[in-house]
Amino acid sequence: MNNQRTSLEIIAPTVQEAIAKGLAELGVPEDAVHVEVLDEGSRGFLGLGSRHARVRLSLEDYTRDELGTQPTGVEESVKIESSSTVESTIESKPSPASSELTLEITRLTVQELLEKMKVKAEVTAQFNPEQDDNSKQSVLVNIQGNDLSILIGRQAETLNALQYIVGLIVCKELGKSIPISIDVEGYRSRREQQIRQLARRMADQAIKTGRRQVLEPMPSNERRLIHIELRDNPHVNTESIGEEPRRKVTIIPK
Amino acid sequence: MKELIEYIATSLVADPKQVRVTQYRRGSMVTLKLQVAKEDMGRVIGKNGKVANAIRVLLRVAAAQEGKRATLDVDEPR
Repeated sequence: MNNQRTSLEIIAPTVQEAIAKGLAELGVPEDAVHVEVLDEGSRGFLGLGSRHARVRLSLEDYTRDELGTQPTGVEESVKIESSSTVESTIESKPSPASSELTLEITRLTVQELLEKMKVKAEVTAQFNPEQDDNSKQSVLVNIQGNDLSILIGRQAETLNALQYIVGLIVCKELGKSIPISIDVEGYRSRREQQIRQLARRMADQAIKTGRRQVLEPMPSNERRLIHIELRDNPHVNTESIGEEPRRKVTIIPK
Repeated sequence: MKELIEYIATSLVADPKQVRVTQYRRGSMVTLKLQVAKEDMGRVIGKNGKVANAIRVLLRVAAAQEGKRATLDVDEPR
């Protein structure tokens, strides 16, 4: 990520707060960034229709390793431009700059949380390369490190909690929701393989015995995998029964 | 632990200035009390306490790293 343009979009009640928050997040002095006011925000009327201010902080020729040292080639002056035209927060297709920003905000959020949880790990973020065209672009976060089983928890409880909280924070930062999937040391992909295998095995058993097979309770994302895996199987139907968190899949022979 | 709760809470609420986290210790047992503006209670608790429970799961990891156990209470401001 050397010499890459890094920018961060911040939403806060006022422009000043947004800039302060952004600088704190990036950990750089004010003269190391270029400030662009995207939306000055408004108080609204009687508390209705009030908007938060949005600013974008951009860094140039800056790497994280240079923290504390004065980076070279950085714009010296802080320009505060208030654009008269307010950019729309909702864009149908994200521009390259905003998608890079999405990744950076997601990565920093995960990193910050792990730091505060006293867990040492490497965090990387990328867009899902195996995306079907009709679904929303999703972010894949990978966490690498030693002995991270504590981050997974029983039945991925910790991993799912982390994913949920990161999703909420990033949604608030960006002003729009984006699907985020967090994986630790390839745990989710291994689990996905296991689940698909289980689905096929149980389907075979249902067909062989002619009786419905009831699986163990699973979270919704895992149940979804089973439904998808057996969707094209002409000999069985799948159905979820019971109430969360003990909802489970049944495989019914046709 | 306190910083973790502060970070999550201030990131989720509309009014970060009213976020207060207090910490009590009794041996290895730590109780954290989170207070936010009344309008923000829903944001840190969530439907059926979903957000609060997710925060508790992460808090458990943070506490375990320090060899402690921790509980989180979310309180109305007074």
